[in-house]
Amino acid sequence: MNIKNVFSQFKEGLYKSRIELANKLAFLFSDSKDKSDFLEKLEELLILSDLGTCATAEIMNEFQQINFREYKENNFIFFKEKLKATLIDILNSTASDIKINEDRLNIIMLVGVNGSGKTSVAGKIAYRLKNINKDIIMVPADTFRAAAIQQLKILADKVGAEMINTKEGADPASVVYDGISAARARKKNIVIIDTAGRLHTKTNLMNELEKIKRVIQKEANDCSLEILQTIDATMGQNAIAQAEFFNKSLGVTGIALTKMDGTAKGGIVIAIKKELDITVKLISCGEKLNNLYDFKADKFVEALLD
Amino acid sequence: MFASLTDKFQTIFKKIKNKGKLNENDIKNCLHEIRIALLEADVNYKVVKEFIDSLHDKIQQEKISESLTPTQQIIKIVNGEITLTLGSKQNDLSISPAPPTIIMLVGLQGTGKTTTAVKLANYFRKKGNLPLLIATDIYRPAAIEQLQVLGEKSDLPVFSMERNENAVNIIKAAIKYSSKKNHDVLIIDTAGRLHIDDKLMNELQEIDENIPFQEKLLIVDAMAGQDAVNSAKVFCDKIKVSGIILTKLDGDTRGGVALSLKKVLGVPIKFIGIGEKVDNFEPFHPERMASRILGMGDVLTLIEKVETAYNEDELKKLDKKMKDHNFDLNDFYLQLKKMKNIGSVDQIMDMVPGFNNLKNRIDVAKLGDREGELKKIEAIISSMTVEERENPSIINGSRRKRISRGSGTQLSDINRLLKQFYQIKEMFKRGPKLKNFSFN
Repeated sequence: MNIKNVFSQFKEGLYKSRIELANKLAFLFSDSKDKSDFLEKLEELLILSDLGTCATAEIMNEFQQINFREYKENNFIFFKEKLKATLIDILNSTASDIKINEDRLNIIMLVGVNGSGKTSVAGKIAYRLKNINKDIIMVPADTFRAAAIQQLKILADKVGAEMINTKEGADPASVVYDGISAARARKKNIVIIDTAGRLHTKTNLMNELEKIKRVIQKEANDCSLEILQTIDATMGQNAIAQAEFFNKSLGVTGIALTKMDGTAKGGIVIAIKKELDITVKLISCGEKLNNLYDFKADKFVEALLD
Repeated sequence: MFASLTDKFQTIFKKIKNKGKLNENDIKNCLHEIRIALLEADVNYKVVKEFIDSLHDKIQQEKISESLTPTQQIIKIVNGEITLTLGSKQNDLSISPAPPTIIMLVGLQGTGKTTTAVKLANYFRKKGNLPLLIATDIYRPAAIEQLQVLGEKSDLPVFSMERNENAVNIIKAAIKYSSKKNHDVLIIDTAGRLHIDDKLMNELQEIDENIPFQEKLLIVDAMAGQDAVNSAKVFCDKIKVSGIILTKLDGDTRGGVALSLKKVLGVPIKFIGIGEKVDNFEPFHPERMASRILGMGDVLTLIEKVETAYNEDELKKLDKKMKDHNFDLNDFYLQLKKMKNIGSVDQIMDMVPGFNNLKNRIDVAKLGDREGELKKIEAIISSMTVEERENPSIINGSRRKRISRGSGTQLSDINRLLKQFYQIKEMFKRGPKLKNFSFN
């Protein structure tokens, strides 16, 4: 897939927030009376992007020492570059793509709170892999929410992927067990598991997820396991707690940041990366099956500040 | 609910409590900490600014720095300010004088519209209405089925049509249908949509122009961040939203959205969703919520819930049984079931003043699986004979074995249940009489 193309689409999705941000940046400088005024506005900008008070305070620290007059004379170019570098620095990490190993079973499991977009992302990942001729089995382990199984089935049919059958109320761990067995029997090496949305504070539901993971470890010990947590870009600071709890229970291997087609900035992933060191791997940005993009820190920040 | 904001406020107040008199600097620090606490709770940046400015003014007016009990006064001012920000008084749904009352639920994707639709219908049914749910989400795969299944589970009727029918036609057909079936409240579940999706926002306007709505309710995820205000504003501009329902308040949400929306939009919060079950749904009371946020509990809601669970006759009967030492396993099971109706342990603890602190120290999870526990108890008690239930002291070893086999439980489960029963009986013997428990 052509990254450049992908990101131009992604940028289009960010179009509105970008305009808003660029305006704010210009405004920030032209209008600032003095340094403290400037810093207050910077704080407003960062807080409004959901970066949270901790990450904001740290970034603010870097700007405490600036020479305000110098910045002002250079218009906002100086500032933008510095802010960009600071944000990229926080987000930057090693390889963050989803890798498929040909020589073994690959299991991708989607987890997250209710309404964060697990089922949609499951469909989008399937679509992407199907497009490069991978053989997939989809596993509807959300046996709780009404019609969740049908929703995944419709997506699987659209994509042309196989989905194993189950019924509402079935034990999710046993559905996953069946999924792994089916993948083995039908010689397919990618399993995509959609799980039920759950609030991270519901201990019994988190235990259920841990049980699913144990089943995977037992039945497919040699598999490459990707546990992706979907985080809704419109979320506030609560998303940090979401990531923390899911990570503690399961060891999340990456985040899929969803609903980036709105006006929310998704700045929360900067706070999550800073506090928990969990990397964003995918960006979901639109209702179409192909609206799924690899996350690149520099592009993400650039698109945000451009 | 709002636990982390509550904790923060309590820490802040504790700090100044130890000081006695407060100087300008103490007050400044206190305001700064309140500001950070609110921002961390996702209260909108601009709302925080106004909130702090207003607090500052009131603190100046009341001459707190000269006061001998400054902390009490500050708490009072903050409490008043939070209540004001949340919307001062409770707002009921308006009911159309000429039925049916038509209510539309709108919002972003994944905020909980469908779940809320069913909860709202259940709420109306409890009040004696005959609600009808209407599925108009023709976009998301299986969305209509979701409403159908949820409706069926709660025994609530759902009206739906073919996917290729447009929303206005579906609603019009539903209105026609409802008049034949005497439905007096129609609840319309719409597709989730982005506020910047012109096509879908136009659809919403079209629906609005063609249907006489009594209420247009915006469903907002309580965990939403700073952008919540922006998206809500667009919905309000396009279709004049009449109220807000906050969902997913059962997590550890910090409640910033609750504090932001009324202030920015001028639209009241009318209900809150606090769990996955159909009756985890309450009217929103600003003053009670302010009290919860400040860790002062919400005894009013608790009393209301107890009142719904028990009527006075039942209480008198129970009291008499206690007095005559006739409290048996049948009563025991009944009481457990009623307590469950009042709420989960952590929900109840949220409402009791001072318990909020305690909550963190107790593993709520251990108390959490009460439903499973209750099922077990039900199985055990129903495997007993009438005689055994009325007089548990005759349950000897061989009876225990029989009950264990009959209920599919362990002997230890039965022993534990009996122990609990005797403990409670003993407690009632010594404890306060129930009639001393006053509702008023």
